[in-house]
Amino acid sequence: MEISEWDLIQKCQKGDVTAYEELAAKYYRRVFMVVLGMLHHQEDAMEVAQETFYRAFKNINRFKGGSSFYTWLYRIAVNLAIDFQRRQKRGVMDFKENMDEVIVETERLGSDPYREVRDRELGERLLAAIDQLTPDHKAVIVMRAVEGLSYKEIGRTLGCSEGTVMSRLHYARKKLQEKLGSYL
Amino acid sequence: MTRDCEEIKSLLGAWLDGELGASEAAEVRLHLQGCASCLGEKARLEKLQSSLKSVLEAKASQLAFEPFWAGVRQRIAEERPWHARLIDWARAVLSPPRLAWAIPAVIIILLAGLSLEQFFPGWRWALNRSNLAAVESIDGHGFNVALLRESKTKTTVIWLFENHEGEEETSAEPVSGGPAF
Repeated sequence: MEISEWDLIQKCQKGDVTAYEELAAKYYRRVFMVVLGMLHHQEDAMEVAQETFYRAFKNINRFKGGSSFYTWLYRIAVNLAIDFQRRQKRGVMDFKENMDEVIVETERLGSDPYREVRDRELGERLLAAIDQLTPDHKAVIVMRAVEGLSYKEIGRTLGCSEGTVMSRLHYARKKLQEKLGSYL
Repeated sequence: MTRDCEEIKSLLGAWLDGELGASEAAEVRLHLQGCASCLGEKARLEKLQSSLKSVLEAKASQLAFEPFWAGVRQRIAEERPWHARLIDWARAVLSPPRLAWAIPAVIIILLAGLSLEQFFPGWRWALNRSNLAAVESIDGHGFNVALLRESKTKTTVIWLFENHEGEEETSAEPVSGGPAF
């Protein structure tokens, strides 16, 4: 019998780590996507995503069900990612240093290898370009692209107005277009 | 025409996000029907959005749950030191939106505290009870102890005297032992 999410949350509120494992299995990839979009570095993203789930478990008694559990979770993730970036400024990640990795990926390519390689390169360049934005600009672009959140929801998560979200998104997109140039 | 295009391009992102009002959205839609340049901009914005989502999805799909959960579980199992928890708490409490309320609130409380004397003259007296001489007495080691403390002059007098109540019952002689300082 499948246990509802709210039942799992109530079990977690009583300290049941196994119930929490089920919730984590459901959402860890989505949380990781949001954090990776903001941090670019896989190791940093992994650390912040794990910290997100740890903090959420420690504070799960504060979750009263006013929003969905995932909404509550990604708010923690976004705020931790912003905090992480402010504390730890790092340079842009180099493109594929490991040639073996490049070769393995090339072998996996399908019927249109040129397009696939170009798309992958675009993806990497896009992440590198996002990495050069400020934490606030990264947050809006990732929340919009990954979660498809409305400006109102983004504003609520970041503690700013819808107008600010709109102007930050406009600025961030313009910067990304400049950086990516002919790749788009 | 160029100016119009610039204005339309500045609205394209919000239009694609479905965040424009009905009239502005209709204006953008109408413009796009006859403007190749803005259509190209729209296509670039769409590609930007879809590329970001697909690259993140591809990377996230490679992440296995077991190692991820092992890290979370380890954190849960470890009891964080009190100072780390204090820092976490302070970060949560002193987040910018709360801080914006907290600073004026602290100022108001301070001002209210400083102006209390005007509304409740003599209220400090209750707090400055330590200025009065306080006498405490403790029984210990066969002596009675009297303690006289006067904080204004920072004087403490300890008065030790023997308990002769029992002796008085057996001896008719007056007690000769005075207080010992």
